Amino acid sequence: MKRVGVFICHCGTNIAHTVDCEKVAKTAAEFPHVVFSTDYKYMCSEPGQMVIKNAIKEHKLDRIVVASCSPRMHEPTFRKCMESAGLNPYLMEMANIREHCSWVHPDKEKGTEKAIDLVKMAVAKVVKNTPLTRSSIPIHKRALVIGGGIAGIQAALDIADAGYVVDIVEKEPSIGGRMAQVDKTFPTLDCSACILTPKMVDAAQHPNINLVTYSEIEKVEGYVGNFEVTIRHKARSVDVSKCTGCGTCWEKCPTKVASEFELGLGTRKAIYTPFPQAVPNKPVIDRDNCRYFKTGKCMVCQKLCPTGAVDYTQEDQLETIRYGAIVVATGFDLFDHSVYGEYGYGKYPDVITGLQFERLINASGPTAGKIKRPSDHKEPKTIVFIKCVGSRDEAKGKPYCSKTCCMYTAKHATLVKEKIKDSQAIVFYMDVRTPGKNYEEFYQRAVDEYGVQYVRGRVSKIYQKGDKLIVKGEDTLLGKQVEVEADMVVLATAMVARSDAGDLARKVGFSYDQHDFFTEAHPKLRPVETHTAGVYLAGACQGPKDIPDSVSQASAAAAKVCGLLSKNEMATEPIISAVNESICSGCGLCISICPYKAIDLKTITERVHGKMLERQVAAVNSGLCQGCGACTVACRSSALNLRGFTNEQILAEVDALCL
Amino acid sequence: MNQHTVKMRELARELLSSGQVSLVLGWEKGNLWYKSPPVFISRVEDVEKLIFDEFCHNNLAKYLMDLVHHSGKIAVFVKGCDSRAINRLLQDNQIKREKLYIIGVPCPGLKDPDDAVGKKQGAEVKNSAKCATCSYPNPVVYDALLWETVPVNTTKAPVEELIAKLDSMTPDERYAYWTEQFSRCIRCFACRNVCPACNCRECCFDQAEPDWLGKANNLSENQFMQMTRAMHVAGRCIECGECERVCPMNIPLMAINKKVARDIAELFGECAAGLDLEKRPPLGHFDLNDPEKFM
Amino acid sequence: MSIEAVKADKAASQENWEPKILVFACNWCTYAGADLAGLSRLQYPPNVRILRVPCSGRVNPQFVIRAFQKGIDGVLVAGCHPGDCHYATGNYFTRRRYLVMQRLLEFMGMDPARFQARWISGSEGPKFQQVVTQLTQDIKALGPNRKLRDME
Repeated sequence: MKRVGVFICHCGTNIAHTVDCEKVAKTAAEFPHVVFSTDYKYMCSEPGQMVIKNAIKEHKLDRIVVASCSPRMHEPTFRKCMESAGLNPYLMEMANIREHCSWVHPDKEKGTEKAIDLVKMAVAKVVKNTPLTRSSIPIHKRALVIGGGIAGIQAALDIADAGYVVDIVEKEPSIGGRMAQVDKTFPTLDCSACILTPKMVDAAQHPNINLVTYSEIEKVEGYVGNFEVTIRHKARSVDVSKCTGCGTCWEKCPTKVASEFELGLGTRKAIYTPFPQAVPNKPVIDRDNCRYFKTGKCMVCQKLCPTGAVDYTQEDQLETIRYGAIVVATGFDLFDHSVYGEYGYGKYPDVITGLQFERLINASGPTAGKIKRPSDHKEPKTIVFIKCVGSRDEAKGKPYCSKTCCMYTAKHATLVKEKIKDSQAIVFYMDVRTPGKNYEEFYQRAVDEYGVQYVRGRVSKIYQKGDKLIVKGEDTLLGKQVEVEADMVVLATAMVARSDAGDLARKVGFSYDQHDFFTEAHPKLRPVETHTAGVYLAGACQGPKDIPDSVSQASAAAAKVCGLLSKNEMATEPIISAVNESICSGCGLCISICPYKAIDLKTITERVHGKMLERQVAAVNSGLCQGCGACTVACRSSALNLRGFTNEQILAEVDALCL
Repeated sequence: MNQHTVKMRELARELLSSGQVSLVLGWEKGNLWYKSPPVFISRVEDVEKLIFDEFCHNNLAKYLMDLVHHSGKIAVFVKGCDSRAINRLLQDNQIKREKLYIIGVPCPGLKDPDDAVGKKQGAEVKNSAKCATCSYPNPVVYDALLWETVPVNTTKAPVEELIAKLDSMTPDERYAYWTEQFSRCIRCFACRNVCPACNCRECCFDQAEPDWLGKANNLSENQFMQMTRAMHVAGRCIECGECERVCPMNIPLMAINKKVARDIAELFGECAAGLDLEKRPPLGHFDLNDPEKFM
Repeated sequence: MSIEAVKADKAASQENWEPKILVFACNWCTYAGADLAGLSRLQYPPNVRILRVPCSGRVNPQFVIRAFQKGIDGVLVAGCHPGDCHYATGNYFTRRRYLVMQRLLEFMGMDPARFQARWISGSEGPKFQQVVTQLTQDIKALGPNRKLRDME
């Protein structure tokens, strides 16, 4: 015989104001299996919990219902209370009579009636509850960082410094990411390379960090503490153990192609490192453009390599490594502004993006830091900057604000005024947003000290006239049309998710939003976790971010990883699916429905009429199952059931409510 | 003896005598001229029992479930509909392909045995209703095809007319129609037992806990049963029509199955069950761009 | 009780009839949305009873039929918006299942308004309020459900 106790909380007057708690308690006492029922001012308080504990002892209760606030609020509290009273914490159910009742129904009679129903449902459910126990899974103490930009580097350094082995997997030949392309950083104007390259070298030399460059994630299996990650090492065509990075090969290579790193403004060779400070400083051969791979002739690099490192026969290699935690830091791409007819559909060579401008002013860039416009390499005197290109534009671009553009545009305009004394920098803007330490001051300096002209309004058209770009727009503050004869136009294009972000998210198994940015577990309180245990986010892959934000998030993610890896094992929730093997027919429909790949078929042997026969049944991996219960509906014969939310429990609730 | 029967016996004899299979599932002539029940043949001399005529209704695929532990290979004759049932059972991991020798028999359409009751052998008999709706008379999976494929019947089936009629009714009229139908149900479960998509080890209707289905035979429980069955076979029904054929109370079950299949095709694209082993059942996967009208 | 008294009682109870509505709410979105409606003191009809499930993908269509059998007047299944599912994909299966289920119920002669499915996120307290208010109005207009019901 089950012995249920019911505890009705007044929550001060929060509940008692519109629910007759005494009446609810009295009515509940009559429900089947209820042997004790009471109400109290604050059930969650210390004395409130004593009421529960004493009643459990006195009335030999074996399970309880607490009718109070949302279980999302106090379920852990009352589970702990159960434990300290010596009962299994899962023999407790809550009826939400505050958020779902007293706060939304002012009519006391109706509210009381509903509260009684909610308690009735909870009692019917708790009668069907069974004790559940947590189990534990081992934690493999090695971390994977996907993406070797500043966020990935920072996360890896922090994890490595804490004493754990960490691998950075980067798809490009070098780590460094977007920050390596940037010239100076706001608001201090210190040189990006000067602060980034030491970190890159630190990462390369750290005894706990392995740089796995020119490699991609092929497959991710397993679960928190035990991810099995298959990495594709793309064929570099260069044996890195022999290569010294002397540079002879790329000096002598006869094939020049547009450099991805220089965003088309400069060239590189077919055997190349993306930029001079590359880490590791070992080249790769771009097989699509290499003369040897295209024609079978050339082999200049192999002939000249003093260490014999060039190897045309290399193939992609797959390697599977086990990790306890994963940090995803894959960064961002830029919005393709060619959808904008008013800016020339990307056809005017002197209409460039902000990131291209970074390369133009960078001392190691294609123009050695001299601002020269791409079309005729002349020094531009009038430069127009246009903000929010693709950002805050639901019709053609993205609805969100890209967050960094206001600041880097102020920076670009400042640098123009610094480098070209007789120049004019004109910024067309919708708003100027400068939240951040010393950001507003920086912007004010650009206006006050450097004389950057800010024009509030959209640009309606850019067209070529001679060697000038005519920029037509509206100054909405003055309410009149403006027309600027510019030499060059720089567009602050939106930050967008990497084009393959969705693929990666599906491979690793976490969610992403409508813009393909990765979704954090909670926008405020769990900003670096994903919904998938053991997978964390850092940097702009989660949403537009500047360098300080990316670095902070990276360190936060690293702290989470270290917290996880510091344990030898972790407890798992017992609310997971379970298979009744005697009923399971092994049809496997549950397998394709499980989002965590937690279900497999296994072969069991059983005695049938004196013979030992084999058959297949579903098996749930308790480390992978997260307890969604989708499989239970796919299972026609109810061989799969979700502990804590069993078919029997839910039916009991339905019946209790209806009857 | 028709040529079809001759060919069946020839192949069965060869398969059994060469030891390629140890059992043959086919049809034999029953006690009545309009009945051709299943027959299980393991001895060469018994192949003379095999026949193929217009009354070979039974879907033999379902019998394979009772033979999963049979040692040796089994030869089974399949019409178009039966072959889709084979795929159903293969996809549901209930039988093993390598243990089967599947003999395809393109089906010209069968006759309605109920219409033959009381008639003399050779008399004119109506076509079977389930065959009138058939779009796959030719087997879709086989090791050997016994004779030429047959043309696909394209006439509009009575079940389609019934669905159209029901669709044009008011909800209350529809409810009244189905009430009339389901109140006849005697809960014999013949529909389930014959169904190749109902291949659970233990049916949820037979379970005491959870008590999905009450023991009382009343309208409400019958409605629960038939709606649950419709959802369980949704996207998995291979439309063999056996449920309706075996129903002793003549409940038009195929109207439900066809309607659900049509809805699924409309909502998620054509995905007829039992044609392609690689195609997962439509309720076992999803598309990000699925419609969500009414949500 | 005399037959007249029974009749009078029945008439009175019909006059005061209030629908009972069952809401299957996923723990992570809709249940949280209902909590938020509470926190924001957004009033809605007290006819609604919420049953918490981890995911809308946990809601077996058999639960819905059972509820109608046992006398519920309306059922709402609600979960996270597509793409927001706490369990990544649960709600996509919900969507498929209940699109089929809705049409089946209609084919069986049920009024489509009695069974509905909605996406309500944890931040959509006002949407929760609006959906259940509308649902209650719809069902009040339809009157008590007699279909699929176990009359004992």
